[in-house]
Formats: sequence, C-alpha cells, structure tokens
Amino acid sequence: MTLATEVLAAAGQVGTGEKVVFFILAPLAVVGALGMVIARNAVHSALWLVLTMLSLGVFYIVQTGPFIGMVQIIVYTGAIMMLFLFVLMLVGRDASDSVIETLRGQKVAAIILGVGLAGLLGFGVYEATRGIVPVGLEGANAAGNVQGIAKLLFTKYVWVFEVTSALLITAAVGAMLLAHRERAAGERVGQVAMMKDRFRPGNYPGPKPGPGVFANSTSVATPAKLPDGTPAERSISPILPTRELTAAEIANKPTEGK
Amino acid sequence: MVATLINEQAEAVVYAPATGLLSYMWLLIAIPAVSALILLLAGKAANRWGHWLGVASVLASFVLGLTLFFQLRNLENRSVVENLYSFIPVGNLRVDFGLLFDPLAACFVLLITGVGFLIHLYATGYMAHDEGRRRFFGYFNLFIAAMLLLVLGNNYVMLYFGWEGVGLASYLLISFWYGRPAAATAGKKAFLMNRVGDAGLVLGIFLMFAWLGSTNYEVVFNNIGTLGSTTVLLIGLALLAGACGKSGQFPLQAWLPDAMEGPTPVSALIHAATMVTAGVYLIARSNPIFSENTTLQTVVVSVGAITLLLGCIIGTAKDDIKRVLAWSTVSQIGYMFLGVGLGGGAYALAIIHLLAHGFFKANMFLGAGSVMHGMNDQVDIRRFGGLYKYMRITWLTFMMGWLAIIGIPPLSGFFTKEPIIVAAFSRPGWTGWLFGLAALLGAGLTAFYMTRLFILTFHGPKRWTTAKEGLVDQHPHESPAVMTIPLILLALGSIVAGGLMVTSVPQWLEPVLGPETAEHPKIAHGALTALSLVLTVAGAGLAYALFRKGTALTPQPAGVLVTAARNNLYTDAFNEAVFEKPGNWLTRLLVFVDNKGVDGLVNGLAAAVGGGSGRLRRLQTGFVRSYALSMLVGGVLVLGAFLAVQLGWMG
Amino acid sequence: MGDTISFPHLDYAALWPMLILFGAACVGVLVEAFVPKAWRNTVQLVLSLLAMGAALVMVIKRAAAGVTAANAHTASDAISIDKAGLFLQGALLVLGIVSLLLIGERTLETGGPFVAQAAITVGSEADRRQAARESGATEVYPLALFALAGMLLFVTANDLLVMFVALEVFSLPLYLLCALARRKRLLSQEAAVKYFLLGAFASAFFLFGVAMVYGFANAVDFNSIHANISTSDKPFALLLIGLAMLAIGLLFKVAAVPFHVWTPDVYQGAPTPVTAFMAACTKAAAFGGLARVLYVGFDRSNWNFTPVLGVIAVLTMLVGAVLAVTQTDLKRLLAYSSVANAGYLLVGVLGGGAAGLSSMLFYLVAYGFAIIAAFALLTLVRDADGEATHLSRWAGLGRRSPFFASVFTFLLLAFAGLPLTSGFTAKFAVFGAAIGGGQTWLVLFGVLSSIILAFPYLRVIVMMWLSEPGDTTPSVSIPGALTSAALMVGVLVTLLLGVAPSSLLDLANNAASFVR
Repeated sequence: MTLATEVLAAAGQVGTGEKVVFFILAPLAVVGALGMVIARNAVHSALWLVLTMLSLGVFYIVQTGPFIGMVQIIVYTGAIMMLFLFVLMLVGRDASDSVIETLRGQKVAAIILGVGLAGLLGFGVYEATRGIVPVGLEGANAAGNVQGIAKLLFTKYVWVFEVTSALLITAAVGAMLLAHRERAAGERVGQVAMMKDRFRPGNYPGPKPGPGVFANSTSVATPAKLPDGTPAERSISPILPTRELTAAEIANKPTEGK
Repeated sequence: MVATLINEQAEAVVYAPATGLLSYMWLLIAIPAVSALILLLAGKAANRWGHWLGVASVLASFVLGLTLFFQLRNLENRSVVENLYSFIPVGNLRVDFGLLFDPLAACFVLLITGVGFLIHLYATGYMAHDEGRRRFFGYFNLFIAAMLLLVLGNNYVMLYFGWEGVGLASYLLISFWYGRPAAATAGKKAFLMNRVGDAGLVLGIFLMFAWLGSTNYEVVFNNIGTLGSTTVLLIGLALLAGACGKSGQFPLQAWLPDAMEGPTPVSALIHAATMVTAGVYLIARSNPIFSENTTLQTVVVSVGAITLLLGCIIGTAKDDIKRVLAWSTVSQIGYMFLGVGLGGGAYALAIIHLLAHGFFKANMFLGAGSVMHGMNDQVDIRRFGGLYKYMRITWLTFMMGWLAIIGIPPLSGFFTKEPIIVAAFSRPGWTGWLFGLAALLGAGLTAFYMTRLFILTFHGPKRWTTAKEGLVDQHPHESPAVMTIPLILLALGSIVAGGLMVTSVPQWLEPVLGPETAEHPKIAHGALTALSLVLTVAGAGLAYALFRKGTALTPQPAGVLVTAARNNLYTDAFNEAVFEKPGNWLTRLLVFVDNKGVDGLVNGLAAAVGGGSGRLRRLQTGFVRSYALSMLVGGVLVLGAFLAVQLGWMG
Repeated sequence: MGDTISFPHLDYAALWPMLILFGAACVGVLVEAFVPKAWRNTVQLVLSLLAMGAALVMVIKRAAAGVTAANAHTASDAISIDKAGLFLQGALLVLGIVSLLLIGERTLETGGPFVAQAAITVGSEADRRQAARESGATEVYPLALFALAGMLLFVTANDLLVMFVALEVFSLPLYLLCALARRKRLLSQEAAVKYFLLGAFASAFFLFGVAMVYGFANAVDFNSIHANISTSDKPFALLLIGLAMLAIGLLFKVAAVPFHVWTPDVYQGAPTPVTAFMAACTKAAAFGGLARVLYVGFDRSNWNFTPVLGVIAVLTMLVGAVLAVTQTDLKRLLAYSSVANAGYLLVGVLGGGAAGLSSMLFYLVAYGFAIIAAFALLTLVRDADGEATHLSRWAGLGRRSPFFASVFTFLLLAFAGLPLTSGFTAKFAVFGAAIGGGQTWLVLFGVLSSIILAFPYLRVIVMMWLSEPGDTTPSVSIPGALTSAALMVGVLVTLLLGVAPSSLLDLANNAASFVR
C-alpha cells in the first residue's frame, strides 16, 4: 500500500503517464455515459455504464486514491452492476416498453438544458481552478490511503458510519415489503400437488419443442411445425416479438419420401 | 406596560388603567361572541329560541356599553385601557391583547350595539320564515363581536383582528342566500376587494413595526413625529388603502352596491350603519398620523370628494331601491372621508355625521326592507308608486330618513353635513374652493336622487300590479310591529340625533380628536348655509317636478351623462382597463398564452389568477421526466443566478 | 503505520434520542419476525410511541441541563446538538408522535390505511381480498422511526457529509411509506416512484454541491467553510456553485418552486397519514437543515444567496398560491398550500438573525400541527372507495356533519392566516422578522400571495357550508381514539398558538441560536 502511494503521489504535477491515461479513458467515460442514455436495450445501457464506471475507477487510482478506485471496480462495477444485469436478464426485456418520446419538446429541452448545465459548471469550475495547484494529496495519504480513510471513518464520521446501517436495514425491509408475497397456508403448493397439476388432463407435461430455426429460416422467432404442418406456438418464447413469416417459411418443406 | 416608552411630551397620549366596572369592558365583546358560538354550534336544538338569544346578547352589550359610557364621563382623562394579556410578547414583536375605552370608542360602541340591537330586533321579523334564521343570527352576533373588537382594541393588531372578523362576517352574510348566483358572486367580489384593502392595512401595520417597534396607539401616536415625512406618508397611504377597501371608497367602491344581494338587515347593519364606517374610524383613530402629513390629508380629502360625487351621480340613475341607498352610502361616507381628511375640528364633524348617518341610513334601509317585504321582494322603484296609502308607518319613517339625509333643518343631516361643507370651504388656498364646491354640489345631487327615490316609491301613480292585472301578484301591506318599532325608533333618532350631537359630541371627543377650531370659510357661514339649503331645495324640487307623475317602466334613451351614470360612470370599464388588462398581460407573459376577456376588476384579477393557474397547471403533466426537466430548468437558473451575482459583484 | 487513532468522544446524553429511535426501529424489525401477526400492530404502535416519548424526554432533559458552546458539539464536531437543534428535535418528535397516531389508526377501515401486502398485483383477486379483510403492513412503524431518526440527525448535522447521509436515511423510508396506500394503490406506487426518482435527482445535486464546496474550503464541515469564506484566497466560483447545488437539494425537500413539482402528486398518492407526516416533519427537518447551512456554514456570503433565494421565495409563494386556486382535489390543494407555506418559511429564514430563525421555528410548529389536523380530517370523510378528496364531494358537508365541517373551516381559516389562529401569529412572526431584516419586498409578495391563497380556502368553506348536500356527499366517519387524539391536539394547538402564542414564542426565541 505504501508502495502504491509513493508511486502514485505525483504532487501537483501531472505526469505523462497520467495524461495518456486520462486522454484515453476520459472520452471513453463520456461515450459510456452517453451510450447508457441513448441505448434502447436496457442490457446495453448497463454495459455502457460499466464502461464509464471502470474508467472512473482507473481515474481514482491514478489520482492516488487506490482504495476508492478498487472499491469502484470491485463493488460497483463487479458486484452491483453485475447483479443489476442479472436482474435485467431474469426479468426479461419487456418489448412493449415504448422508447418514443410523447412529450413535445422534451428531448430537445433536456438536451439544451443538460448542455447548458454542463457548460455553466464547466465554466465555473474552469474559472475557479485556473492556475491553482492541487495540494493535500500527500497529507491525506501520509499514513497510507486506506489508513487515512479508516481514520476518518472511525473518528469524525463514526456516528454517521453507524447510521448508514439504518439505510441498509431500511433498504432490506423495503425490498421485503415491496417484493415479498406471503402465502397463506392454503395457498402454499407442495411438490405432490405440483406434479398432479402438471399431469392433469389438458396440460402438456413434456418438454417444449425447439423453434423452427434452421429448418425453415435462420430466425429463432420462427415456430417449429407440428406433423400436420401447423406452427407450434409452444416452440417460441413468448417474450420474442411476433413477426410475420415469409412465404418461404410458411411453405411446407417437401420430405424425401414425396 | 408600555407607559415607559412614551416620550415626555406635553401633548403625550396617556391612557389610564381600567378599574372598577370599566375593567369588565371585555364583556362587551365576549357576550355577543359567546352567543355567536352557541348559535353556530348548538345545531337544530336552538332553532326555536336562537334568534332571541341573538337579540338579547346585543341588548346586554348595549346596556353594558351605556353603563360604561356613564362611568367614563366621570373620569378625568376619559380614556382607560385594559391589558388582558400579552399576545405576542417576544423580542421586538410586542403585541398585547388590550382594550381601550375612550370617547371615540364609546361613540362607536353605542352606535354598534344600539343600532345593532334595533336591526337585530327587526331581523327577527324579517327573517321569520327563513330556514337559516339561526345561522343568520349567529353570523350577525359574530359581526357585532368583531366590530366591537375593532373599535375597542388598543393597538393596530387588535384593530386588524376585528377588521378581518367583520370582513368574514360580511362575506358570510352577503352570500347568505347562496342559492342566488348574484349573491355568491357579490360575496366573492366583496371578499376580494376587501382583501386588497386589508393588504394595505397589514403593510401599514408592518411598517409601524419596522419603524416604531410597536403598534400600540399610545406608542405610535407619541412617536409618529420622530419619523420622516415620507415614512409617515407611506404608513398613512397603506392605512388609507385599508380604509378605502372597507368603506367602499374610490377606487375600491365597486363591491359595496353589489353587497346589497344579502338580506336587507345585513345591508342596514353592515353596509350602511357600522362596518363600512370602519374606514372612517381607522382614519379618525389614526388622526395623529394623518395630521402629521399634509400630502396625506390632501389624498384623503380627494378620495372623499371624488367618491361623494361619484356616489351621487351614479345614485341618480339607479332604479333598484337598495342600490340607490347603497350608492348614497358610498357618497355619504365620501363626506366623512372629506371630514377626516380636512383634519383639525373636522374629525369630530365626520364622526357626528357618521353617527347620524348610522341612524338615518339604517332607518331607510330597514324602510326599504319593509317595502320589499310588502311588495313581494320587488326592488325596482319604477314599479312602486303610491305606496304611502298602504304602509303609513314605513312611509312616515322613511320620510324622516329622507329629510335627514338631504339636510332639511332641524333634522339630523342638516346639523352634521352642513359643518363639513363649511369646513371644506375653510381649507386654505384654491383647494378650499374645489372641495367646498364639490361638497356643495353633492348636497344638491343628494337632494335630487333621494327625492326621486322617495317620490317614485311612495307617491305618484301606482305602477305595480296585482294578480288580476299582471303577472306579478302584489298586495302592499304594512309590516308587523316587530319591524315597525325599530323603524320608529330609528326615525326618532334621524330627527333628533344631529341636533343633540352637534355640540356635545365634539366636546366629548376632544380628548381624542383635539379641540374644535374656528372655521374661516371662503364664503360667510350664514351665506353658505343658505346656499346649501337653496341647492337642496332646488334639487328636491326638480326631482319632484320630474317624477311627480311617475316614470317609464323601462329605461329611456338618455343623454351621455345619464347613460354614463347608469353604467356606474364607466368605473367598471375603468377598472377593466386599469386592473384587468394588466392582469391579463401578466397572465400572458406568465404562460405565453392568450387569455379571454372578462369583466370587472375582481373578475379580471380573479380570472387572471385562475387562468394563470389553469395554464400553469398544464405544466404539471404527471410525467416524472417532465418534472425532472423542470427541476433541471430550476437548477440551471439557480446556478446561473449565483454565478451572475458573483460576477456582478466581482466586476 | 505505527500511529494509533484515538476514538472520538461521543456524548451519549446528546445522542440518546437518536439512539433510542434507531434502536426501537431495529427492535421493530425483529418484532416483524417474531411476534404473531395478531399482536404485531399493537406491539409496534406501543413500541414506537414509547420510543418517541422516551426520545422526547431525553431531548427535554438535555435542554433542561442547558446547552453551551462548550457542550454542543460531539462526535468530533460532526454533530451539533445546540439550542436550535434541540428545539427542532423536540418539534419533530412531538409532530412525529401526533402523526404516528394517524398511522396507527385501524378503526376507520378494516386493517387501517396501509396495504397488507404491497407485492400483490393491483386489481387482482388477491388484492381485492386483502383490501377488504387483511390488516395493514406493520413494517410502517419501524420505517417511520427510521425516518424520524434520520430527521433528528439531519437537523443537528454540523457537516455536509453527515447531512447527506441523514438526508438519505430519512428519505428512503419515506419513499417506501408512500407506496403503501390501501386504496388507489397504483396512484400510491406512482407517487413513490416519482418521489424516489426526483429525490435521487435532487440528492445528486446535493452531493455534487458537497464536492464543489470541498474544492473551495478543503473541508465539508460548517466551521471550516465559515472560516474559509473570509480567509481563503481562492475564487468564490467553486463555493457558489457548491452552495447553489446544495440549495437545490434542500429546496427540493422543502418543496420550493421550481423544485416543488413532486409535491402535489406525492401528497395525493401517498397514504394520508404519511402525507401528514411528510407535510409536518419533512418540512420541519428540511428547513432546519437549510437554516443551519445558511446560518452556520454560509452566513458570510449572504449577500450572495439572499437575492437568489429571495426570488425563489417569491416564486414559491406566488406559484403555490396561484396553482392552489384551480385545484379540485383537497389533497392537492393542501399540497400547493404547503408549497406556498414553504415560501413564507423561506421569507422568515431570509429575514436573518435570531428573529428570522425563531420565527421559522415557530412557524414550523404552528404549521405542522395545523396540517396534521387537516389531513386527519381528510381521512374521516370517506365513502365506499376510501377517502373522498374531490372538492365537489365536500359540497354541503356543513349540513351533514356541522361539527367536522366547523373544525375544518377553522383549520382553513388558520391556513389563510386569520387572526386568533396560529396561522396569523406565524405569518406575523415571519413577516415581522423579514421586515426587521430589511427584506420588505419579500413581505410585499408574501402579503400578495396570502391574498390569493385565501381564495381557494374560502372556496372550500363556501362549498361545505353554502351548498346543498348531494347524493354523493360522503359521510364523515366517527374517528377512532387515535385519530380523535391527533385531531384534537392539532386543532387545540392551532387555537392556542393563535390566542396565546407567548410561551412557544418565548421557547423559540430562546432556542434561536446555532452554535458554530
């Protein structure tokens, strides 16, 4: 850890390496942020965000904050975003979500205001920091980066640090409250009942057929065909958009016997 | 107490603490207040006896007021205060819940409870068949309590409490017959115009706080001389705005005639005798402030003169009996404003005119109510005529009111209006001529339109119909005794009050309003009296000649002046141009959208607010992203503003 | 790495109120797990009330012991339990107790105002069943305790980071509580999501502001910021950007224009007891925090923020009042009135000095009680579909139940600032303070806005008293003991503070000092 701080503490000066890193990663971070907003697919958005977060993590490390950089990569990018992706994939992308803006002028206004805010902030910060030499990194990292954070957490911010646990408890209780459904004794379904239900008349107990991909077309959205030539509805996933089949796909394929 | 704050001046206002029976003066307010509470909360159980409780409570207050009045006469400085408790006692905000009983307050207490009692009594008959009678008496008692608080408070905050209270009661009473759309609209109009005035009063109070650190009459009056003249002018103008709103003075006069939509006893009590004179009370009470600044006095006098002429001219063209009386009220209060604006000895003149007016105007309003009662709620004077045969008492009492208001000696109006005209002529410089002539002209016009009203109603050919002759079935008849007795008493008051009060009351009021001053009118006193009498008789004679034979039942084509008068002298149009249009432009500016035209000041501003509200409401789309957008707008603006302030300061 | 860190001194006597609330909230979560369902509501209610009561006792004890500059700070100066902080904590606890009574009401409808299981799909068969029969979720009690504890921390935070954490601690439970209405559940969930998203947006501004202020002052505690404003040679731009962004975050919580947009939707959608809780307590906490930021941290740059915040105050008063005019739903009407009231409070804050602070403190208490009572009354007027909040439904209520209509009329008159109600005294105090602080222009707009605002209130009064009851006029339910108590306390305090406000004014005046 001391090694890291020594290597990275470049008091007041911006080294060449840092510059190179910055000019490669900064555009990527911005592109990632823009991509997250623009992408239509939630999974893509999440992945763009990962790009931004990773870039930021590297920035932190370069700016002699190895702890926060690592936390950014491991916890945010590695754990939270991946969890988020899992959830997205489990829930499934809802194709009916409209991405068309119905409010007139909303997008234009949002873009103008966003750029305006960025401009104001950029101008202000530029004005304020022009010609100012950054100081204090050595002081903060004097006893080591992690030690410095630990000292703050266990002295000045110890009370607040404890209070954040309330936040976690609230979040857990809230998740339970909003998502957990308690089932009454009568509602609970056992294994036997489930099996009976599966084999009740009218239900289809076997595995579902695969789609008709490669048989008639190259799309997974093409249903397989039953022996009588009708499309098998069960063979395609319900979340896929239904598409109109081409004549070639509808046509019955001649078998060799004919 | 605040006595320590008083500057040691020769003329310092000092009030003695109340002792003995006088320390029970809070009962004056408490009795009607408790009665109002009982009436409003008791529910149906009180329906049978509720109205008698209302009458009894006001009578009790009157008796107590009379007793206290006699107590007060024996005191040396004739002013007592009683601090009930400290209301806001902290730091620079010091307000006591205190009462002040002095000659001015005593006059008003007697007027409010005395006339109030008679009108209450009358209302028991007038409202006998109304299912909301108990509620009506509850509001009525509430009004009495609030009005007493207004005149009895020993600081401006107490006055404001009463001020708001009477406003609320008046609003409730005007829209008492809420089933009529006109009543509801009139109620709203009254409320809003009063709020405009109230805002002025509140600002005046805050300004006193800011500059004098107190609103106690004692402190304010003793220290007003230490303030600069602009400061005094500002405080005075703010108070004047409040007074104009409450008293229906130019430019806030429009609500008062509309307020006649309420039951007639309400018109008599609130919009003729008591509440509308609160503005006069406010200015008379604040006489040290108004006397401090001559510009301020000129403004008050101008408001009075304009209003008195405005009221007269419009009054000549109105055909609704209550509206004519309402405009005449506006005009008579104009006289009072003229009086309080002239300052010096004229303060007391305004007060005696106010007291006399309380009698004869209440008398005439109740008379009008009695006519309407007998005529199936007809209000159009063109459809009366020859009623003296059917309602003798009403006719006679109304005649007394009529003779009093136009100023025929020896009835009360003569003794009280005449000195105001003289005082106006006594004003130094050319303005003395201006205001004097205005007052004189007003006297002639008053005689004209009041005579017109009287002749058209009680004399001339009959122009009403019975079931056989027309659509409306009318059987004129005299009202029951419970209504006529108050009429008779008030008529007696109209006859003698002026003569009795003309010297005694100014003396009585001397501790508050200062001594009488010798008048030096531009024209000799005797000549002036003769002139005004001639004008009065001429006006009355002209009216008699014109309307002796009755009048057409529909409006006739008329000259410019009459048409203008029928249209309230285009004041509504003026209001539209001055208040409504900018209101609309403001709305447009706010929401970039056009707004439809609406009529009248109140409707205009209300619609501007409503329209602006409706349009602003559209920004509330319900979409969270548009909310976020508006927050972003705010964010950019706040950030920009901070940076702008920064750059502006740093060059 | 040989240096040791010494643990900071924690003044437990000062922290007891928060400790009790956090502890009780944790116990409440355990109660959910271990206490049989039939008992939970009673246990939770008693536990919460006891905790709040105990916390209040601790606050009073602390206040009675005396607060000096020496003992106000604790936890390495991160917390500042000074006089104003104690007053705010006490006010929050009292208002919290009263609104908890509403939250605990279970007699007005089966199972109380909260949904039994929020996870059940809205409108499904199971949802109808639970709406009719099952008793409401009892997790609301620990959530309310967490929120209240967060507020107690928020008003005593002496450091921007502490403030941020406290902001989140009290916001998150509120977002959740908003989503738990028993009736009109979609509206309630929508409200919660909106509140959450916009709240997160505002928090982001706040946090960004903290970073900017750190850039200027090299510190985030108020003392250093205060010291740096006069000594630092850095340009002020960073400080001002920071202050602007902090202000945005805080103004969102107090519902000032243009950051008020969430208010009507959330007030309308949230379960009414929660709305009452938010209207009274969140407002108090947010203004406490805002005042501390402005008075303790940034008072030396007040020439910078006063004009900007003054304009915001004017906008808030006017827009709130104007928009209230056309509202047809009572909850939305009260929401806009609360926006306008935020403007009046801002006027008091900008009045500056001890007078400004004490007027704000007084106003918060007066308004809190009145608004809780108003919402308590709203919960009573109901029909088969729950509360009937549409204005047209209140037509003729004065005939049907004169008593409750009178009470509501009284409360509306109090909001309109009529004399002899707390509304008058409170407005008088803030306007007086502003005039004393030389901000007469704010008072001009304040008076103007209160004229406009009187109109919608009066419309409701006219509606109740001067119209005939229709077939759809709902009945007024007989309140249970808890709601009655809350209503009675609210109305009595409103009356008392209008007639004899001196004791509370004294208290607020004595408390009107922050310790730097």
